[in-house]
Formats: sequence, C-alpha cells, structure tokens
Amino acid sequence: MRTEPPNLLIVDDSTAIRKILLRVLNQTGLPLGQVLEAADGKEALTVLEGKDVSLILSDINMPNMDGLELLRTLRGSPQWHDLPVVMITTEGGQARVQEAIELGATSYVRKPFSADLLRDKLAALLSK
Amino acid sequence: MLFAATQEVFTSMLGSEIQQVFTPITERSTPFDGVLSLIGLAGALIGNGALVCSAETACDLSSRLLCTEVSQIDEQVLDAVGEITNMIVGGFKNLLEPQVGRMQMSIPSVIFGKNICTRDSKADVAVAVRCAFPGGEFGLAVRLAAARE
Repeated sequence: MRTEPPNLLIVDDSTAIRKILLRVLNQTGLPLGQVLEAADGKEALTVLEGKDVSLILSDINMPNMDGLELLRTLRGSPQWHDLPVVMITTEGGQARVQEAIELGATSYVRKPFSADLLRDKLAALLSK
Repeated sequence: MLFAATQEVFTSMLGSEIQQVFTPITERSTPFDGVLSLIGLAGALIGNGALVCSAETACDLSSRLLCTEVSQIDEQVLDAVGEITNMIVGGFKNLLEPQVGRMQMSIPSVIFGKNICTRDSKADVAVAVRCAFPGGEFGLAVRLAAARE
C-alpha cells in the first residue's frame, strides 16, 4: 500500500498542454508528490531513471521518441513494465487507439478533452 | 468537418462558443501582420492545415487555453497557438481518415511577424473557414493533394 503521495510524469512536447494537465491534476484534490515533466519519450526515460513515478500521462506525436515508442520501451523493461500510462493525444482513429491498448496503455484520452472528465478519470486512477 | 473540429476544441478546451463568418473567397492572399500556425499532413493525401490570426487574437487564444492573462506574443503564446492548431487539424484528420485512409501529422510550426505573405500550390482538397469568438476572428484552412509516387 502506497504511503507517500505519488509522483507523476507528464510527457508532451507542448508546454501549454503540460500546464493544462498540471492544473487538472491539482484539481483532483488528491495528495500528489512531485509532478515531473518531459518534452519527449527520451527525456521521459531520463526522468524515470532518477525518480520513482506512479503514473505517466503521455502524448503520442512527439519528436525524438514518440509516445508509442516510449510505451513499447516501458512495457519491455522489468522495472517499468507495470507502470500505468495514460495516452493523451489528438490521435482518435480506432486503429491508433487499438495500437496503444495492445502496446499496454492503461487508458486513452483524446484531445481536445473536457477538464472535468479528465480530472475524474485521473482521480479514479490515482485512488487505486 | 473543419468547423466542427474547431467548435469541439473551443467548447472543451477554451470554454468559448464560436461562429462561422462567411467572407468572399479571394484568389490572392494579402500580406498580413500576425501569427501563422502550420501543421503538415501525410498519407494517401499530403498537405497542411493552417491557422491565421492577429497578434491580439493569438494572445486571447493563449489566455483562454492556459487560464492566465497574456498581453503580448511570447514563446508561451506561440506554443499555445500551435497546440490549438494541432487539436483542430487533428480533429479534422480523425473525421477525414475513414474516407481517405490513415494520415500522419507533423509537429506544429508557428510564425509571428509582419507582412507575412503566403502562397499555396494547387490542391485536390481545399477547405477554409473563418471563425469569430469573443476574442476576435481567425482563419483556418486545410489543403491536400494526392500523394506523389
């Protein structure tokens, strides 16, 4: 059972989206540890090397390493295999959603998103 | 489809209603001062989506998206406009894909300046809308052509 507030990682090349997600996370009302940020998948892996993270929110379309490649890397690694990952992306086609779920995404949220719905979804995930 | 995608972004992310503005279509683009945001599209069709607005409207869009007051163009504003373009063009792409097959999107490029002139090559598919919201007006266009071998 978790005793420390969870650390979270937001992965998106848009600083605007990272700010919005940070605001939504703070609005869940749940105790949070550090909310870390990365601009792409490679940077996310560097962050994960140094910090214990409980949940990742990741975009798909990013330079250097996209969200699906990040997901593939996480699921192939013994230390991050079970780390919950929520994809937050403009990609809404059924094939893309299916691809992310098959790669091991915990959940999928399409941009644009309702802040209320996202907040409720994240609150439910963080409460587990 | 383009207006529907735009409406979805504005109601869910910017908390604002928009209306479509009907203006005469002109063949030539006139130079303008402001912000031009571009995203590439590629698949069976190739092309781009673009958002055009004044600096003041760009600041207003950024303010609404980030829920902070923004009065002048800076990197944060350009990033916000790029992300709004990304969501609008992405929404349009999702609506178009069932008809034309899977498409990829580039990351956005945003230009801010004066006397910006644009020129578009011939397109097989061209969609343009002009929208108005409490913060001003902006133009959107998606231009696509059959991919060349």
